[in-house]
Amino acid sequence: MKKTNIIKTYIPDGLETKIEGNIISYCVDVCNIVQICNKLYFTHNLQLKTITAVDERNDGGWFRILYVFGVLKENIFLVPYIILDNKEEFPSITKDIHEASGYERKIKTFFGLSPVGHPSIQKILLHENWPDTVFPLRKDFNWQTKPEEVHESYESQKVEGEGIYEIPVGPVHAGIIEPGHFRFSVAGEKIILLKPKLGYKHKGSEKLFEILSMEDKVRLSERISGDTSFTHSLAFCQAIESLSDIEIPERAKYLRVIFSELERLANHINDIGFIMLDAGYNFGGSNCARLREVVMQWNERLTGSRFLRGVNNIGGVTRDIGSKTASELLDALGKIHQDLNEVIEVSQSSSSLINRLSGTGKIDRQIAMDHGVIGVAGRALGLVRDARIDYNYAAYNKLKFNIALEKNGDVLARWKIRIKEIHSSMLILEQVIQGIPPDKKLKSDKKVILKKNSLGIGITEGWRGDIVYLVVTNSSGHVNRVDVRDPSFINWTILEHSIINEIIPDFPLINKSFNLSYSGNDL
Amino acid sequence: MSIIFILQVILVPAISPLCIGIVKKIKAKLQNRTGASIFQPYKDLWKLFHKDEVISEDASWIFKFAPYLIFSVTIILGASIPLFSTIFSDNLLSDLLVVVYFIALLTFFLALAGIDVGSAFGGLGSSREMTLAALTEGGLIFSMLALAFSAKSTNLFTIAATISSLSFFSFAPIILAFGAFVITMLAETSRFPFDNPATHLELTMIHEAMILEYSGKRLALIEWAAANKFLIFLALGANLFFPWGISLSANLADVPLALILFLVKILILSIFVAVLESSIAKFRFFRLPDLLFTSFILSIIAICLII
Repeated sequence: MKKTNIIKTYIPDGLETKIEGNIISYCVDVCNIVQICNKLYFTHNLQLKTITAVDERNDGGWFRILYVFGVLKENIFLVPYIILDNKEEFPSITKDIHEASGYERKIKTFFGLSPVGHPSIQKILLHENWPDTVFPLRKDFNWQTKPEEVHESYESQKVEGEGIYEIPVGPVHAGIIEPGHFRFSVAGEKIILLKPKLGYKHKGSEKLFEILSMEDKVRLSERISGDTSFTHSLAFCQAIESLSDIEIPERAKYLRVIFSELERLANHINDIGFIMLDAGYNFGGSNCARLREVVMQWNERLTGSRFLRGVNNIGGVTRDIGSKTASELLDALGKIHQDLNEVIEVSQSSSSLINRLSGTGKIDRQIAMDHGVIGVAGRALGLVRDARIDYNYAAYNKLKFNIALEKNGDVLARWKIRIKEIHSSMLILEQVIQGIPPDKKLKSDKKVILKKNSLGIGITEGWRGDIVYLVVTNSSGHVNRVDVRDPSFINWTILEHSIINEIIPDFPLINKSFNLSYSGNDL
Repeated sequence: MSIIFILQVILVPAISPLCIGIVKKIKAKLQNRTGASIFQPYKDLWKLFHKDEVISEDASWIFKFAPYLIFSVTIILGASIPLFSTIFSDNLLSDLLVVVYFIALLTFFLALAGIDVGSAFGGLGSSREMTLAALTEGGLIFSMLALAFSAKSTNLFTIAATISSLSFFSFAPIILAFGAFVITMLAETSRFPFDNPATHLELTMIHEAMILEYSGKRLALIEWAAANKFLIFLALGANLFFPWGISLSANLADVPLALILFLVKILILSIFVAVLESSIAKFRFFRLPDLLFTSFILSIIAICLII
């Protein structure tokens, strides 16, 4: 579909639209935004990708709130926005579109703009010691200031009744994992309610994006969620590349696919192993840990970094893979695949393991869709969503592969999705390594000059789900705001629904089957 | 006689860490890992005995006293069950019911100590342990009662001596009772599919949750006692159900062979436990009672066959 057709189909007549690359943005009256979003979301079935605010008071004199909707298969984003002129309130769309809740709460917490009509405007991510009157993403907040501590208390939702008690878990856990606090209300072993409290890893990353130099911005994006270094920085680089009209060399596109898939491979193998380990199936657990290590060592050999850091660059990549190395990699991948297949075969024949995984941590399809489920958890419910196909980027449009799908939405389904995705990653890697163009150029020579007063969106399919970066520039062509949407930010809201009526000893297993990032969520 | 008795007393605490080490080593091998040395548990105990401990301000005397009690009881138990010789049959403590309730005493104090400091996980562990213990006790007593009916005595040494002279054909019910015993053994010693001895996931633990608050010397005693308990169960399994090779006389010359045979039997059972832990996943908590009822029913069938 052409952009003019898209405008005709999705955007009401009479609105002035601005087309920049793959983004169509248009200003909407504050009072119309609810209706417009509802139409895009419900009538046209577009995906809500993120909602965020921008502070442009120094530049033009207002706050703007941007709503990003993705048009599947077209790789086009519609961005209706509203302007809050001398106002600190905006109408909430959460009442109709439930998944908007987290974004609006985040705007309230970090910008101090109130979503009117939001059912529960609790602060998120920031600690109780952070004062309610200081809003860190506003331009008048200096990132180096340390506000005075206020000692507010945190109220978790409570369940009362005979025999019901609370178990507080974390934020410090028995293993070496990220911090998060979980409050279980249980009757015996059965879980009545789970309230996770996150934010312990809040690092002010989004504010830092506004301050650091461009090279450091790329490095920062690699550290948003350490296990997804490559796909995170890829999404950021894509946003900047679209903002500065840089076309990257063919070979770099293929290399980006190779590294993305290697990252997915290492993490999926790791998760498959950990799910088995948490079910107490040690054979599978230790074998997957071994295989993951082989992939990690290949990462180090190819790029000098086990987590593929320092590879992505605006305009291309910094590391090449020679033809001899590439054929060795292909051989090694074949061996890993064969080895893994054997481990999976043995594991799948263990009835005690399969019995433990199936039916555990089942999510209701409607609840999950209302929360906007993405990634592995979504595909485990049969939702066909994969940014590699929906918003094809890098060289993915030249490759043939299937989206992994399962129906049941339980731990077993999420486990199997990962296995299927490993198979498809192997297939992709094979095609890419064989089809990589021989030219030498890895990086565009064009200087990075960002368009003024513009928007750039980068979306990639990380191994957890799609990662979205929205970059907004100001009138002098500098980055004014970077909004990071890690898939964990969405899927954390679903975890608590998959656990109701399960028993306490099953929680670690269910949690592991999602394996969400704390760092990517807390930013 | 006195040398044999001294050997009987120190055997269990002396080789129980080795037994744990061997199980861990075999598990590691089965999972394509190298694993720690089989003597690692001794080094761990040594390390823990040299560490300071932190005791919660809310801990009562039960918390402080329980490790000593638990450890002493395992020593007494170790001395009063047949290991390599049957000559101590006049020992009053080696009655079947005394042994079973000494084991219950261990569980009781461990569970109390778990609740004592009032941490969420200790309570969780104790509640689970008591649920399982109540269901395990029936299977344990009845599996051993099957032997007592066979031997017309509840003294463990007499049972061992009698079973070893049993003909091959009267052995079928004993195998059933052994099946029942193995299930309860796995439950009592916090092994798969009941509990994961290697886990530190706070929400799934049973035994580890109860001892979570212990550190230093008291933790060493508890760990050692847990190893003793494991060996005691292996020894009961090996010597009550398959007592061949056990020395029937007070003759010191018979001891070495009996001792070697005992160690071989323990090794076989350890391998069994390690293979089991490597080949199955942990069961869901609410499926465990089914398994324990199976144990109970197997024992009842065994008893019916014997009577």
